[in-house]
Amino acid sequence: MKPPPLLLGATLLFWGWQSGLLVAAVAMAVVLESANLVKARWEFSDEDFSRIWTFCSLLFLGSAVYTFTANEGPASFSGFFQNPNPLTQRAAGRASSLTGASLSRWLPIFFFAFMVAQQFSTRRTVPLTTISLILRRRRKQALKLRRPLPPERNVDIGYPYFAMCLLAAAVHPGEDQSFFWGLCALLTWALWAQRSRRFGLAVWATALVAAIALGFLGQRGIGQLQRYLENLNPQWMARFMRQRGGFDPTQSRTALGSVGELKTSGAIVIRLETKNDASPPPYLRSASYRRYGSPVWFAGSSKDDFQIIPESPPESRTWPLLVKTNTASVNIACYLEGRGSNALLGLLPLPRGSGQLENLNAYLVRTNSAGAVLAEGPRLAVFDARYGSGETIDSPPSTEFNSDEDLDVPEREKEALDAIIEELRLRGADRERALQTLGGFFADKFSYSTWQGRPRTRGTNDTPLGRFLLTTRSGHCEYFATATVLLLRRLEIPARYAVGYVVHEGSGRKYVVRQRDAHAWCLVWDERSQTWQDFDTTPGSWVETESKRASPFQWLSDAWSRIGFEIAKIRWGQSRLRQYLLIVIIPGLALLLYQILFRRGRKRRQDREEEPDRTRLWPGLDSEFYLLEKELARRGVPREPSEPISDWLERVSRACGLEDLREPLAGLLRLHYRYRFDPLGLGDADRAALNREARRCLEILASAAETAPVGR
Amino acid sequence: MTTLTPSTAREVYRRISDNIARVMQGQAGSTRKLLAALASGGHVLLEDFPGTGKTTLAKALARSIDARFKRVQFTPDLLPSDILGVSIFSQRDQLFHFHEGPIFTNILLADEINRASPRTQSALLEAMGEGQVSVDGERRDLSELFFVIATENPVEFRGTYPLPEAQMDRFAMEFALGYVQPGEEVAILTAQAKNHPLEELKPCASLVDVLALKHAAQNVRISDELKRYVVDLAGATRAASGVQLGASPRASIALMKAAQALALFDGLDFVTPEQIQELAVSVLAHRLVMEPQARFSGLTARGVVEGVVKKVKVPA
Repeated sequence: MKPPPLLLGATLLFWGWQSGLLVAAVAMAVVLESANLVKARWEFSDEDFSRIWTFCSLLFLGSAVYTFTANEGPASFSGFFQNPNPLTQRAAGRASSLTGASLSRWLPIFFFAFMVAQQFSTRRTVPLTTISLILRRRRKQALKLRRPLPPERNVDIGYPYFAMCLLAAAVHPGEDQSFFWGLCALLTWALWAQRSRRFGLAVWATALVAAIALGFLGQRGIGQLQRYLENLNPQWMARFMRQRGGFDPTQSRTALGSVGELKTSGAIVIRLETKNDASPPPYLRSASYRRYGSPVWFAGSSKDDFQIIPESPPESRTWPLLVKTNTASVNIACYLEGRGSNALLGLLPLPRGSGQLENLNAYLVRTNSAGAVLAEGPRLAVFDARYGSGETIDSPPSTEFNSDEDLDVPEREKEALDAIIEELRLRGADRERALQTLGGFFADKFSYSTWQGRPRTRGTNDTPLGRFLLTTRSGHCEYFATATVLLLRRLEIPARYAVGYVVHEGSGRKYVVRQRDAHAWCLVWDERSQTWQDFDTTPGSWVETESKRASPFQWLSDAWSRIGFEIAKIRWGQSRLRQYLLIVIIPGLALLLYQILFRRGRKRRQDREEEPDRTRLWPGLDSEFYLLEKELARRGVPREPSEPISDWLERVSRACGLEDLREPLAGLLRLHYRYRFDPLGLGDADRAALNREARRCLEILASAAETAPVGR
Repeated sequence: MTTLTPSTAREVYRRISDNIARVMQGQAGSTRKLLAALASGGHVLLEDFPGTGKTTLAKALARSIDARFKRVQFTPDLLPSDILGVSIFSQRDQLFHFHEGPIFTNILLADEINRASPRTQSALLEAMGEGQVSVDGERRDLSELFFVIATENPVEFRGTYPLPEAQMDRFAMEFALGYVQPGEEVAILTAQAKNHPLEELKPCASLVDVLALKHAAQNVRISDELKRYVVDLAGATRAASGVQLGASPRASIALMKAAQALALFDGLDFVTPEQIQELAVSVLAHRLVMEPQARFSGLTARGVVEGVVKKVKVPA
């Protein structure tokens, strides 16, 4: 099946118009269609086609790799494997679809060489074995086993190329209907050439119009469905993300009231390195929250008070958060998981009292009054946090009565809280005593558990927190932290709910923080020092309990995470992987192209190298005849390496008009040959004769040269 | 056995080739190769179009030598026993008597060899390779001079069985005669206007002469360097692209022996590179098995060997 003339050219032009590569498309169309005018044809063997095909495929693969990296492919995918959630899945999907789209757009260019080879080959088809790996293997096997070869089949790749161009044209930025109608026109053209003569023109046209109408309605329907889903999507996605993603500066959805086992993962989320063998900070705080509405902690008024921190000095990658004395420094590596408007963003986990962030590759750093530091930048953030005791970036508790968020207690929880306060006789107690009593109370009477049973009584209006405080007295850190914050607030002590991580696992100076090390605790306002203090009432056994839940295959996921981290470091750190990749791909492709085109040469060169070196000297190489040969070569008639001497001498005497030399040369050659190739060799007299004759010929040559210049 | 000196051997060669030249106009080169094969103990396959004088050349050679000559026309129904011979039970003395087939001769013309079935073709394998045949489990030696000239027609393929590679390898040389120049063709017409000159051809050499020539060819010296050149040529065909199966060591041996004979014809008692180059294509090309792809792209075995001769450095 051959496409009708001009169809491929028109399709290429259509593709160029749709994908914005019109100049290239015009050139390609002209080359392709010129095959109908130009009569010159080339004789391509199967091997030639095979080479061109390999080149096209390699070009395609190389471009695929490059495009994949250009669309943040490896980064998106490493995130997806390390922490599979809807967000990373979407990022990976987006990278794949971007890669796919930009590759399809270039498809006609990648395989153009192959198409041109077919158009300008004498047979105007290509062997099927070139394209089909299965057929090629079958053929090779048959050759090896000396079985009869499967029959050779040739195909015309005109229509597949036509389809490829249409597919490529489908990836177009335009929103109008031009693609659809262009596609219809081209398909009609292509089908017209192939229509069955059994049916009348009217039947054919009706069927075609029906198909086009169905196609038109179908694509409109799909478009509408897509728009509907797009509108539906954001809310749905957002709800999903809040439940399973990282920390959100605006709210923290707790598992308070959830029944069953709390699921945690052993994936490494933060890597920590201390300086000068100092002990690491015990807590890394990501955010704190002010208002509780079971089961969610909200940022309250600090939700909207994010302030941009200027990089100072500019371009120094140093972000001062607070003017203070920092006594310690720690290197933290974490991932920014959230997708901002134009970059990735995430909350930085920071030690208490962080004053300055150094070496941080970020575009933008913001903080809010609840001590959250939101960074916008590449996916991996590696930085040094300098910190010290004392002041923090959190705002002091608000004193206004109306917005006294740091003392706010939901009405529903008050009953249970008051019961505990009564039980502990804390009413009116000062801060020191309250902290001490509460610490002891939670440590003695409560146990850590990630499992929550179904409440026994139903229909009562007790809250999950009430059940925890009064009945179960067992729960995970969110219960403890929430209960403590609310109890303190009930005692008129300002407190906030903090989330972050606990650092406990590591060796030497290096520490890792896993997802299951995520923790919640409480911040208490200290009136005297005017700072927020960490106050953690979760029983200390929780770390151990959590560690027990580690999977036996954790080492494997750790190794995987390490690889991902190293890749991410190359990708997002100071190195320029993509440039390296380009540097590797281009010479690699060039080398492959060279090898494909000159494989024959390579094979021969190898064969030559494999030969044992002929250091052995053959007899007779000191013959004086070689002086004559050298002299004649100097005069412009060298002997070809594969030319026997007799043929060469014939040529010499003909070309240079040295007829006089013919006779003496023949005699000299006989002697020379005997000296060289007769195993018996030459006697002394003959050896002397060879010497004499050679010199005589040289003399004749010299005298002849004086009269007539020798030349080819 | 008398050993001829190079000059006497050259004289014998001259006599035979002149005699053949009376019938075969313009085929001096082919005659030279044919006689080289004869003197080196090899066999010859002539592949050419009908009517180019293949059979005439074989017959002319047979007639020039005072030796036994048999001709077998190969047909699809030819049986091995038709060539080798058969034992027939004699009623008279109640014994089996072996009746020799046409293979028991000095010069055998196997006309259109590719028309016989592979079974019959392979009956020739042992005879050509080892100078003996085994019939009814009994080994029978062939005469000391046993020379096969086989012919085949390259254009017709219906009802033919291409010679298997092993059989091809048994032929020392394969060459075509080709069409002669117009002037020579006119001479042929003139010569055959009344009767065929072949009928008037008289033997000019005895069997003993030919055997002496063979012996003399074996005594022609060849240096290690040229042996290495022969091996390099054969080896290069194995590495050449488009070649599935290169020349075998048997090919190297054949090339060396034929070059020895040719050196003798040139009046030399040692081999020079010229003789090796002259024979390389005829001796090596027919043994190569080309890749099907290479065949389709127009590459021929002959072209490969010619390329190899041009590539491999010749000792000088």
